[in-house]
Amino acid sequence: MFKELDPILHSQLRLAVISLLIGVREAEFTFIKEKTNATAGNLSVQIQKLKEAGYVEVTKQFKDNYPLTICKISAKGITAFEAYVQVLQEYLKPT
Amino acid sequence: MKETKELSQEESLKLITEMIQKAKSSQFNENGTSAILWGSVVGFCGLTSFAQRYWHFSIGFDVWLLALFAIVPQIFIGVTEGRKRIVKTDIEKGLDAVWLVYGISIFALVAYLNIIPSATESILKAENIELLQKNTLTNIIEKRAPITYSFSSLMMIIYAFPTLVTGLIKQFKPMIFGAIFCYACFIISLYTTATYDNLMTGLVGIGNWLIPGLILRNMHFKAKQ
Repeated sequence: MFKELDPILHSQLRLAVISLLIGVREAEFTFIKEKTNATAGNLSVQIQKLKEAGYVEVTKQFKDNYPLTICKISAKGITAFEAYVQVLQEYLKPT
Repeated sequence: MKETKELSQEESLKLITEMIQKAKSSQFNENGTSAILWGSVVGFCGLTSFAQRYWHFSIGFDVWLLALFAIVPQIFIGVTEGRKRIVKTDIEKGLDAVWLVYGISIFALVAYLNIIPSATESILKAENIELLQKNTLTNIIEKRAPITYSFSSLMMIIYAFPTLVTGLIKQFKPMIFGAIFCYACFIISLYTTATYDNLMTGLVGIGNWLIPGLILRNMHFKAKQ
């Protein structure tokens, strides 16, 4: 019996964001937008969903008088990602 | 990239690999400016000092002052590169901490080399001691600047190094404060005799390692429960 894939992570853009953040400590919103080729609006919504799930921490500050959003994966996010990959591996294991 | 797209397991794995690769390719932000700056300055100062001693001439000022002035462009480079950085990895954070503590250590060593001779002279003067040197060929006796080194002070610069790097990387405040306490004891030890240097070393052991270590152990057991 296969475990269910985490619905928060099993979405193209949210999975892309988490996969990016797992490789770096923290990243600016513009970096994530550039690497995922997503629109700012869509990305904001998905980051908000990840934040609500406790998978990412979002910090808002100012840089040269412009608003700056920094995203960082949380410990809960790392655990969820590892569990997601583990379940994925089980699915893909030859039977 | 759209959020609504239904992903198959294979697509998920492909996406994860692709994004991790993209993150990896963004990890080389270091452009070598700092290394080039310090390599040029220290290389020039070292070779000029050698040339002055070897060919017996003087340029009229201490060439190593240039190394001190190089701190100004270094700060500018650090701030500019920090502003440009849109992603920060664990490796970069670790490297930042190492270079920062290296900078503090160099600054502390420069302070040590400048303060110790005059401080030692004052201590010896208080004990009615004056250092003299005798030329055995001419029998001329001259006053000599004391070059007594304070071993404990030098060790304190090294003691603070791992504590501050660990504290900065892990954002563990007791270690950051422990290292700051160590630097404070280092500054005091520059002006004190060997007896009090030992006292400072003892205090540093407690403030720099023992207290942060006990706090860390306490947190570890709490987390385990």
